[in-house]
Formats: sequence, structure tokens, C-alpha cells
Amino acid sequence: MKTVSSLLDAQWHERYRQISKLNIRSSIYDVTDQCNLRCKGCFFFSSGEHKVASEEKDITKWHTFVESEMARGVNLAILIGGEPTLCLDRIEAFYSRLPTFCATNGLIKVPRDRFPDLMVGISLWGDREDEMTLRGKDTFGISSANYGGDPNAYYLYTITPKQLGKMDKIICKIRDVGLKVHMQLLSNDEGVDGFSWQPDELLAVRAEMDQMLDNYPATVISSKYYHQIITTGRMCDRQFGWMECPSVTAPIDKRNPRPKRLTNFIRWASDLKTMHRCCTSETRDCSTCKDGAAHMSWVMVNKRPHMNTSQDLQNWIEVYEMFAKLYRFIPW
Amino acid sequence: MTNDIDQTISRIAAIIINELKLEDVTPETFDADLDLVDEVGIDSMDLATIALVIRDEFGIRIDEDDYPKLTTIRIIGEYIAEKRSSGE
Repeated sequence: MKTVSSLLDAQWHERYRQISKLNIRSSIYDVTDQCNLRCKGCFFFSSGEHKVASEEKDITKWHTFVESEMARGVNLAILIGGEPTLCLDRIEAFYSRLPTFCATNGLIKVPRDRFPDLMVGISLWGDREDEMTLRGKDTFGISSANYGGDPNAYYLYTITPKQLGKMDKIICKIRDVGLKVHMQLLSNDEGVDGFSWQPDELLAVRAEMDQMLDNYPATVISSKYYHQIITTGRMCDRQFGWMECPSVTAPIDKRNPRPKRLTNFIRWASDLKTMHRCCTSETRDCSTCKDGAAHMSWVMVNKRPHMNTSQDLQNWIEVYEMFAKLYRFIPW
Repeated sequence: MTNDIDQTISRIAAIIINELKLEDVTPETFDADLDLVDEVGIDSMDLATIALVIRDEFGIRIDEDDYPKLTTIRIIGEYIAEKRSSGE
């Protein structure tokens, strides 16, 4: 029988040991329905999620809610929005109690005296031209001034088809302000012309992502297996889609057969009562979804299928390590 | 009593092999002290599947809160024996 010990040498086994006990139980929270940008392709606004619930404004209810989430076993709070930094008191309700990640556009600086080690993921949608086209503003100048050199912040670089051949410049720009970067792909939810992925572009972006990881291993937090999965949508001869996605809200997950999924995962709206279908837009076509966290989780919940060969299991470990680094469970 | 436990352990091994479609192992060669999570790669969903079969076969219910401590076949066997002796 293939066991972990039979597939890994001592060095890989030690890496496996570091992550195997983490037992991460994440959920995602819309902190607010408001944002200080309106980006084309932001699923929160394009799918109308900002209108499905009226945000809870009583801060005591946020504190009570976080307590109940912890009682449910959540040990990682992933805060999204709207723009979470517009509501620092709500962030604090999570941060004061459990490991917390905050996604932000970086226009507002999280005060580090109040949130010293809050992990911050700053969204970046490409170079100046793409940022202007999709977000109406080139955010990098502001976000890099706010977070440059911060050990608990990194860029979440959403790559678009327009970025092919330009990634090196972006990665260098991030490296030069002393930050790390994680790469994911745009899901063109609003069908902006020229921003939907074509098969040849997915091949090219995978090669370029691999090249960035080879060239800038101290800056890029990624793995080649993740690049393969997210650009092909395939893992262990299976195709990503609704019947495979692990990041569906558990209490409303009626799929049969039940796929491997995140334990007790819920994506909560900011009224703290409404549950969204999944970690991203309900209106998105799952067969073309490029959500990075969903694809990482897809790998992570499928350990046994990766126990076929040593290389398979090493790939699984690398993706798990990447996730654990991005959410501050293990050091960079 | 020891014989009973050995039989239970062997049956649990057979259930796990069958449900998870494990290859190159039999109930006789399955190491009863092998860590099912860390070494075999079993997760909570696998355990839930196995728990359903155990419920049907042994007539005992495995509480979901107990999953984390059921790390080997021997521990599962002892858990079943304890539940049966206490009449749960």
C-alpha cells in the first residue's frame, strides 16, 4: 500500500509534517457592501451581491457573530467586500480573535499599531493601462506607498490576457517595493472585450507564470502545479467545475454525489445572516472560473488522489504550503 | 476479548480497503497502528463514509466530534468495543 512515508524522502516528509497538522477551517466574510473603487470584472458588484443583503452596522453583533463562527470551528477568517478597510472596527472583531486575512485594493493603509500582523492581500490587475481600463485608477502607486516593505502584506496579481509578455515588469515592480506576490487569473465576469481567456493564451500564461517563479523565487509565492491546475482546469484526470468545486457554502450544498469539499465552509454576506452560494460569484460559469483560492483548495482537499506517485504528493505539498504561507500559517 | 478486538480490527481494515479502494493491501497485512490521516491520507469525508458503514455493520454511531482521535484501525476497533460494551 502506498503511504506518505513510502512516497517521500526525509526532506519532503519534514515539509509534509509541517503542514499536515494545520487543519485549516476557513470561511469568507463580506465585511461591507461599499467600495472606494468600481472595477470591471469585480464579481461582487457585477453579480449584484452588494444588493442581496443590507450590511449589519451594529458592531456588537459582529463581535457576537465572530464568537459563533469560532464555535463552529472556523480558524481562518478571510475578509473580502466591498472594501474591508472602510470598516476597521469590523476587521478588528475578527482579528482580535482568530487568524485573519484581509483582501484590499490597498488605497487605505491598515494601521499597523492596531493590526500589527494582520495578513493583507492587495489586489493588482496589471500594469497602468489595464488598471485604468478595468479599475479606472492605477492603484499601484498608492498601495505600494502604503504597504511597501510590510512583511505581512503581499500583492494578489490578477493576470489578464493583456498581461502576456508584461509580467516580468510587474513582478520586478513588486519586488522593488519589498513585497511578495501571488498570481491568479482574471475571470472576466463582465465580459470586457479582450479580457476572456483563449486556449492559446492559457498555454502562454502558464509558461510565463512558470518563468516568473523560476526567475523570482524569493518574490513569487506560487507553484508550477498550481499554474498547471489553474490554466488547464484539470487535476488527476478530473475537470474543475460545479461538481468538483470545494468552496461551496456547506449548509446550502445539495450536490449529489458530494464532492470533496472544505469542511463547514460558508461565505457570509455582510448582514451576517445571508449565505452566498460559494467563494465567488453565483452568476459565474463554474467551468470557466479561474478563482485561485478555489483551485488551491481543490488540490488541498484531494490528498489521496495525489498519493499515486512521489511527484504527485510533492505537488500536493507545494500547493498546501503556498496556501499556508498566503494565510500566514507558516512563514514565507 | 482479544480475539473479538482482532476480528473487529480485521473487519475495519476490510471496510477501509473496500470503501477507499486501497491497493496492495489486505485486512491481514494492514498495519493496525498505521496513522490513517498522516500516512494513508484519509480525511474527514473519508471517515464519514467509513463511519456510515461501521454504523450499519456494528450498530454503533461514531460521533463526528470523535473523528480527530480515531487515527488508527486499532483505535477505531477499541472505540467500537467500548461503545458496544456500554450499550450505546
